[in-house]
Amino acid sequence: MIGAAVDWVEARTGAMAFIAPLLTHHVPRNAKWWYVFGSATLMFFTIQIVTGVCLAMLYAPSAAEAWESLRYIDEQVPFGWMLRALHGWSSNAMVVMMAIHMLQVFLHASYKFPRELNWVTGVFLLFTVLALAFTGQVMRWDQDAYWGLGIGASIADRIPLIGNQVRGLLLGGPIIGGETLSRFFALHVFVLPGAAIGLVGLHLALIMKNGISEMPKPGATVEPATYREEYEKRMAKDGVPFYPDAAQRDMVFCGACLVLLVVLAAVYGPFGPGGQPDPTLIDANPRPDYPFLWIFGAVSLLPPASETAVMLVAPLVGVLVLVAVPFLANAGERAPSRRPGMVLIASLAVMAIAALTWEGKTSPWSPVMNAWSALPTPGHFLTGRTPLQVQGANVFQFAQCRNCHALDGLGGERGPALDAIATRMTPDQLMRQIQQGDGNMPAFGRNLDSAQMTALVSFLTTLKPEFEAPARIPGAQLPLPVRRMPGEVATPVAAGPQ
Amino acid sequence: MSAHRAVATLGALVACGGVVVSTTGCDRLPGRPTAAQVAAEGTAEWTIQVFNTSCRGCHAQGTEGAAVPLMESDYWRAATDEQVARAVLEGQGMLMPAFGPSAGGPFTASQASALTRGMRAIWGGATRQSSEISGTVVAGNASNGKSVFDAACAGCHGAAGSAGSVTDPMYLRLVSDQGLWTAVVAGRAALGSPAWNEPMPGRPSGLTATEVADVVAYLSSQRPRSMSETQP
Repeated sequence: MIGAAVDWVEARTGAMAFIAPLLTHHVPRNAKWWYVFGSATLMFFTIQIVTGVCLAMLYAPSAAEAWESLRYIDEQVPFGWMLRALHGWSSNAMVVMMAIHMLQVFLHASYKFPRELNWVTGVFLLFTVLALAFTGQVMRWDQDAYWGLGIGASIADRIPLIGNQVRGLLLGGPIIGGETLSRFFALHVFVLPGAAIGLVGLHLALIMKNGISEMPKPGATVEPATYREEYEKRMAKDGVPFYPDAAQRDMVFCGACLVLLVVLAAVYGPFGPGGQPDPTLIDANPRPDYPFLWIFGAVSLLPPASETAVMLVAPLVGVLVLVAVPFLANAGERAPSRRPGMVLIASLAVMAIAALTWEGKTSPWSPVMNAWSALPTPGHFLTGRTPLQVQGANVFQFAQCRNCHALDGLGGERGPALDAIATRMTPDQLMRQIQQGDGNMPAFGRNLDSAQMTALVSFLTTLKPEFEAPARIPGAQLPLPVRRMPGEVATPVAAGPQ
Repeated sequence: MSAHRAVATLGALVACGGVVVSTTGCDRLPGRPTAAQVAAEGTAEWTIQVFNTSCRGCHAQGTEGAAVPLMESDYWRAATDEQVARAVLEGQGMLMPAFGPSAGGPFTASQASALTRGMRAIWGGATRQSSEISGTVVAGNASNGKSVFDAACAGCHGAAGSAGSVTDPMYLRLVSDQGLWTAVVAGRAALGSPAWNEPMPGRPSGLTATEVADVVAYLSSQRPRSMSETQP
């Protein structure tokens, strides 16, 4: 009965005749578990489409209602939070899986003849997916989204000549407004997914056309003149059908990924939304989502003078280099052991991205804005001090020194920790540093009056291990007398050339 | 691992997960966001939140924190609610910043009062401001205060003019009369300073309320009014 129905449809559509060869095409026998990452990426993409469609039914893409509608999805809609959690975690997982897939293809040089365009479509997919991740972050319409857009717009603004126009195109006006969210919504749900679906189709069609590459073997080189013919021969002799041999490994791995995804979503829940996107809240501490943390880290660590050049040129160079990979070397050895330079490049890239992601996550260059009012001065810096020194500890909090300088390991890390500053700087040097600033440190000369300054320096000179000598100017015979006041008429002192 | 065994393992894992979830209930999954909990103004939770982010950096307990320790009942015996709320709103001396609306600060007058009441309830316990001595500055006689200082205070706090003394003009410029008053009345046990009526090395019976007023008047009189007076 069922068979008859299938035959009826088959006679009129030829669907099975189309699908069967796709399922049974021969793939290399030795391509075991290495080849599951592409399938897992595709699975996550499918999950994104399904959960994304569901979310689009619940989400209000207007600047006034977006943030509230996320709260509504999280708190009112049955399993709405789970939907958002799956969409968010699956998005990160897709980026990670894509990176692993790309790394595997790079290390095995599967991009060599005749699969150059497989690689190129993959590179375009990578950027499409990253664009989806960025526009998806904007959908949350919280502080991170708002400031992330602001940063994106100001990078666009740096483009010579047409910067303003590009920014206007991105934001739908000169500033972030109601139009901006509509624009990014259209990109996130129509343009980019459409592009991604097209590219995935192309990517898969190319895989069917060129076949799955074999595991690389040292000495088995790729010769474009004879490769196709020999590949066909080897597949006919030694290949196995994709279904069920290879497909079942894909299914097991995808199943495991799916379980992990559900566990992550159930345990860690959805991302955001963070605080309201209000430009008047200056204590916002915006961070991009995980896929962009390494860029945030890199840009934060750039020397200011190089910013424009690096921000505008580096992405272009990155795209060009990635696209050019298969054209620079499309023949010859594929085995990683015969391509040590490529292995080195891949390792460096992975380490750099991992390290920059860590830097972006911890961002030690950011002051801890409420350290001054939240972290008390440790007791051992206060016992046995003079009244003036204790007041100096108050000045230390009052002037918000703690936001950038840690004591006892707590506080900002923008400047050096000051637990033992008195062993490194004399009172005069401390006074000068605070008054005039230096390097990254702002000048506090105008913000502190003489009594505050004297108390602060007096406190700082006590910050040293008990039995260590205080800092001295090299060659000075005696510790220099503490200066009482800036601009004070010098009272005659015993030591020191004046 | 063969694919079949992998499928079996995976199936078992999923089944275990299903059992766990169905017994704990989907509503209690740890990832489920709870409605944003903003503690209501005046509750103990709110007080602690506000205190920890805005006050604790200077006002802690024991030897921690350079300013008066608000997390101890000694202070709450010395201070009145009105005086604390005023200090929150308007600041005090040169180092307590104003947190009130007139200074662009985050607290309204009603929040400052609620915060003060909350802090007294948490750290003052049943402590009320002492009936034996005023919470705010009482005018005293500076020349009497000088002799009280020499007899009762100078032994630990340094004779007038000596290094590290509380008569250091720079110290006196930073601290208001109210600050001096609270310091004398409350003391700071963890750093070795007794309260006004507790035994002191120079005065085993402690001070009287009049003597406190006189000593504060004396210290106040030593405060330089202009920069030139700070010169030794």
